[in-house]
Amino acid sequence: MSKAAFPINDLLRRKLQTTLTIATLTLSVASTLFLLLYGSRLGFNLASTSGTLTAGLTNTLNQFLLFVGILIFAVGAVLTSFIAFLMMAQRTRDFGLIKAAGCPNSLVAGYFMTELLTTILAGCVFGLILGVLLDYAAANIVFSAYRLPNFWFAPLVFGVFFVLSLIFGVLPLLKASKMSPVKALSPVDYSLTPEKKHKSISRQGLTLRISLRSLYRRQSASLRIIILLSIVFILLTVSVAGGIIASGTTASWVQQTTGKNTIAIATNSMGNQYELLLSKFSGASETGVFNYSNSTLAIPETVVAQIRALPTVDVVDSRLVLNEQVQEIDNFTIDPETMVTSTVGGNREGNAIVIGVNPENLVGTWGVNGRFLNANDSYAAVIGDSISQSMYSPDLSKQITLANPLVEGIGFQDSTFNIVGVCVDPINNGLVTYVPLANLENVTGISNPNLLLITLKSTADQSAAIAQIKTLVQSIDPNLNAFSLNSVVEKNVNFLASTWQTIMLLPLFILASTALCLVGYMMLAVDEQRQEFAVLRAVGAKPRIVLFVLAIQSLIVLFSSFGVGISLGTIITLLVLLPQPLVTSFTILEITGWLLAALAVMFLLSLYPAYRLSKAAILKIMA
Amino acid sequence: MPDKEDAMIYAEALGKTYLIGKAKIEVLKDITFSIPKAKFAVVSGPSGSGKTTLLNLIAGIDRPTRGKIFVQGEDLTEKNENFLSDFRCSNIGFVFQTYNLVSTLTVAENVAFPMEWSEKPEEDVEKRVTELLETVGLQDRANHFPSQLSGGEQQRVAFARALANDPPLLLADEPTGNLDEKNADKIVQVLQLLKEKGKTVVVSTHDLQIKHLADQVLSLEAGKLANQNE
Repeated sequence: MSKAAFPINDLLRRKLQTTLTIATLTLSVASTLFLLLYGSRLGFNLASTSGTLTAGLTNTLNQFLLFVGILIFAVGAVLTSFIAFLMMAQRTRDFGLIKAAGCPNSLVAGYFMTELLTTILAGCVFGLILGVLLDYAAANIVFSAYRLPNFWFAPLVFGVFFVLSLIFGVLPLLKASKMSPVKALSPVDYSLTPEKKHKSISRQGLTLRISLRSLYRRQSASLRIIILLSIVFILLTVSVAGGIIASGTTASWVQQTTGKNTIAIATNSMGNQYELLLSKFSGASETGVFNYSNSTLAIPETVVAQIRALPTVDVVDSRLVLNEQVQEIDNFTIDPETMVTSTVGGNREGNAIVIGVNPENLVGTWGVNGRFLNANDSYAAVIGDSISQSMYSPDLSKQITLANPLVEGIGFQDSTFNIVGVCVDPINNGLVTYVPLANLENVTGISNPNLLLITLKSTADQSAAIAQIKTLVQSIDPNLNAFSLNSVVEKNVNFLASTWQTIMLLPLFILASTALCLVGYMMLAVDEQRQEFAVLRAVGAKPRIVLFVLAIQSLIVLFSSFGVGISLGTIITLLVLLPQPLVTSFTILEITGWLLAALAVMFLLSLYPAYRLSKAAILKIMA
Repeated sequence: MPDKEDAMIYAEALGKTYLIGKAKIEVLKDITFSIPKAKFAVVSGPSGSGKTTLLNLIAGIDRPTRGKIFVQGEDLTEKNENFLSDFRCSNIGFVFQTYNLVSTLTVAENVAFPMEWSEKPEEDVEKRVTELLETVGLQDRANHFPSQLSGGEQQRVAFARALANDPPLLLADEPTGNLDEKNADKIVQVLQLLKEKGKTVVVSTHDLQIKHLADQVLSLEAGKLANQNE
């Protein structure tokens, strides 16, 4: 028999354990790779390519993915260590036997190192394949066309996980290989000292005592599984709670900028163009150049006045929408202690949609860093998050070490506007600037708005009101039309929701991976106690008693880690991941439901080995 | 020979065959016998003759391949696991050759746990544990764990556990097989006591001291009943 034959045969003969180990590693590698590939596909993180979503939302998702990614790596590392530990814990007696038969330490270590390497290699390779396949499937569901992902993630994940698995796997392996044959073969030291005083015997108490003392006897394995599951529950909380909260918050940002049940009044071409500007958020692109300053787009003052006079109308938001070449206007700060002045920003240029608005008559509200425009503002501006990202971030290649949009200004057509806020806005994918309407009219010489956004009173019949408005505006100017913006807002919100939903596949991955690991742990627990369970059965315990003992052990492990994981996960989610999170009572219910469902699924899966054991014949258990 | 209703144990053409891979190993070959109530029976025979298998079938731990086994008039052959568990709990005490105590329970708890499922009041359980530990001479070791006991002490705990629910039938599989003479004597004393109390006892053994207690000897040889002496 060759030196490799023993470990390979050994792995093949312990099919269930080997399959479990490889499957757990595969899921861990696959979920990590999927996260990176899909993250890059969405245009975030390492391969940021904007095409959809705004820069602010990209940052939110990026931060979310980064946290999840770090935790996935942590889970992978602990998982690998744990799986290696399980493998070794079940083999201690074999170690003792091989060494007692005269096998040198180095050879025993070699055998089990071969097993470790084979298992890790298989897990990492299968994980790579599964990760790419899952990315392919997910990309085809969300995006219409499949683009090649950044394949350099594959060797990165493979390398990091292989090394991590090896490091964590070797530690218990070395410890086991150095164990003396006498210790390995001796009866298990249960570390239980005589009870100091006699405890009264209650009917249910003994079953509970068996469960608790068995957990204590396997302290090392119990501690590891609790640490692992705690990290998993942190991950689940961050993914589920963070995902749900962030999804709701970002959807609210996108929805509120346009307002609910908003109707647009403009010429057909301007109306279509405005819808296109909104749709860029979900991937639409322009096919030609649109002339926003064309005088035929202007809405006569009489239209505005007559719309305002309608009893069903609540707010009339007059807007002048233009496309401008904008410039960053730098500023300086003075250090109050040293009195040294520093330049903030540069003079970068870009293209943006500039919208003039009356701050006292707005149909929407914005998620803003800083503040939105108010009625007293003159030559003030609120810029979109994508402009902020592209023109107001430090850029060392241009020697701009300090940049802060809230200190700087924005200029176009020889006028400068002080930036008072940065907002999340889906229009033109965040490449947008809001300024007071009167200032914009002064600067451009255009005196009429080219777009009216209106909202109706809550008592109004939406479709009847649109028909009435359409008739009214067309009686004044036949080129004008009235459009509901609901469908385009809904499209954007759905796109954002589908993006989140795809990301939310990750917790499922981790859940599946950890549930497998928990099954592995329970198999170890069952294996160690099977003789005693056989005795219990032989003495008269029903099969459900066996199930009960193991269920208690599983519950203790799950609840300890659930408590730790949920607490830390909530702190990370609320304090670190998302500024101004939108948390409603429904959100809390939804999150609680998901987390409890995850707990229940893990608990039920963990009972599988116990269920099998309880159904087995007594002599088979004893064998 | 008493019929199956009157006998404590009645076996009819009882056979057991194990399948190991493709090989069939016939351990018991259609044996028929009965053991009356309140009798002390010894099952003897060389290693591999089927003694342990026979005790397992009587206890309902294993199921026969052929034939039937009746204990206290109940046909255990076709009964489900829950019934067998209840039946063992109330009617049969089993002492294994390798003690098989629950390592995470103390001596007192090991003796008490079969009573956990028999609906006895907790005070009765406490009283019974004390009484049994006194019987086997281990009252001072009540709070120790099995790993802190010698082999002989563990076997005595196993006897106490087997008697916890005061079963009418006690089965013991080579109870002195792993013990020195002194400890074996103590086990024999316990068996003597049980005989005097009128329990039905079936012991698989090579021990001559135990054989001397027998009212009935079942001699097995290669799975067949070679002799049945009363």
